[in-house]
Amino acid sequence: MAEGSSTPEPIQRLVEAFHRLPGIGPKSAQRLAYHILRTSEQEAGALARAILDVKERIRLCSQCLNITEADPCAFCQDPRRDRSVVCVVEQPLDVLAIERSGGYRGLYHVLHGVLNPMEGIGPEHIHVRELVLRLQAGEIHEVIMATNPSLEGEATAMYIQRLIGPAGVKVTRLARGLPSGADLEYTDDVTLARAIEGRQEL
Amino acid sequence: MTDRPRSYTTEGVVIRRRNLGDADAILTIFSLQHGKFDAIAKGVRKPASRMRGHLEPLTRVQAHLARGRTLDVFTQAESIEAHRALKSDLDRVNLALYCAELADRFTIDRVEQRPVYELLVDVLKALDGGASALAARYFEIHLLAISGYEAQVDVCAICRQKLPEEESLFSGPAGGLVCRQCRPSATSGRILSVRAIKVLRFARTVSVAEFDTLRVSDALAHELQAALADLIHQVIDRELNTSRYMDELDRASRIPALSANHVQSAQSTNDSPEL
Repeated sequence: MAEGSSTPEPIQRLVEAFHRLPGIGPKSAQRLAYHILRTSEQEAGALARAILDVKERIRLCSQCLNITEADPCAFCQDPRRDRSVVCVVEQPLDVLAIERSGGYRGLYHVLHGVLNPMEGIGPEHIHVRELVLRLQAGEIHEVIMATNPSLEGEATAMYIQRLIGPAGVKVTRLARGLPSGADLEYTDDVTLARAIEGRQEL
Repeated sequence: MTDRPRSYTTEGVVIRRRNLGDADAILTIFSLQHGKFDAIAKGVRKPASRMRGHLEPLTRVQAHLARGRTLDVFTQAESIEAHRALKSDLDRVNLALYCAELADRFTIDRVEQRPVYELLVDVLKALDGGASALAARYFEIHLLAISGYEAQVDVCAICRQKLPEEESLFSGPAGGLVCRQCRPSATSGRILSVRAIKVLRFARTVSVAEFDTLRVSDALAHELQAALADLIHQVIDRELNTSRYMDELDRASRIPALSANHVQSAQSTNDSPEL
């Protein structure tokens, strides 16, 4: 790092802390640290507290493993939601994306990762076992696999299908096809073939 | 290197992908013309990316790249073979990724390796057409041979005497089968059946499609897998990510998933989840 020994130790520590964040290079880290230095004490305190609060008050819902302040989370507690359907997603952010679509009223299950053969990440590294335990209660009749349509997401969906399909639970997969605003000319064969398979009557 | 063109086109198979930043990825591509190398695919994780579907791992692709300061950058990509059937089968996708990782570990950056490339393309095609795990064994046998580590199955790997038709010791450190006289000087190994030895010999003379028509028992398949794994371990001396992954899948599949009598025991081991 460009910080020399002339830089006071607290600033250096802050620069290094910022540098560890994703997408922050050494120059950005310096800029952020010197920005904090110039802000008022209240503002800096608020930032520090926000960081601590996230770590202290946010935990995983004991049922769906989504991030939450109250356990069980708001989705799992909501009596208006359909308790017979579970949507399985990779990350908590995916829950927000599906909620934004407004088209889903069931429950969720967050895996916190995805199977990745190329990196050696297997089922022991993600929250699959918790899903199986939830299904054993017998209330859930359909599992919607909403992992990303990437090689890893597909592998995860196929694995979970193999794990729970034989028990008679209906396992479905999000449809795959053309995104809105797409260009047929540039679409890959796999997506196009799926889009043709999944075509619908106008 | 001022005479190098600023952009070039190549055919290759995407053998690995790592995410970079918010929307980019570093892909390892095994190309026909330039061997294996890493390159950046910008914006490939955005839904609007035109290259996204074409640059999925295990896709054979025609790619156009621009020279970068450290890594080259994909500018266009069009899939030649997407291997769609292969990607929708959990076992076959794992075997294919395993072969891709082996190809990655056995080769050096930016060195043209046409025989390895052709072998990889053939085996991926076979797996896409429904081939069994034998296709991965075929890949191992031929990759070892191309790389100069061919398994010795005709003569003793130590004394070079012709081997009689009988079950023999297969030693990874020695590089193949070892005769009875040399057995004490082999540091480690496992006994291979006559049938397993014949299968290893057969693989050298046929195409992957012909090799896959063999019907082997589970025991024999396991025998072959273990022997070749010994040999590969000698060469790369490190566990493969895909092997570790497949072992984990194997362990997980041995736990009965959703049977009524499993509820009690499974719940008792349910730890509270942590972030």
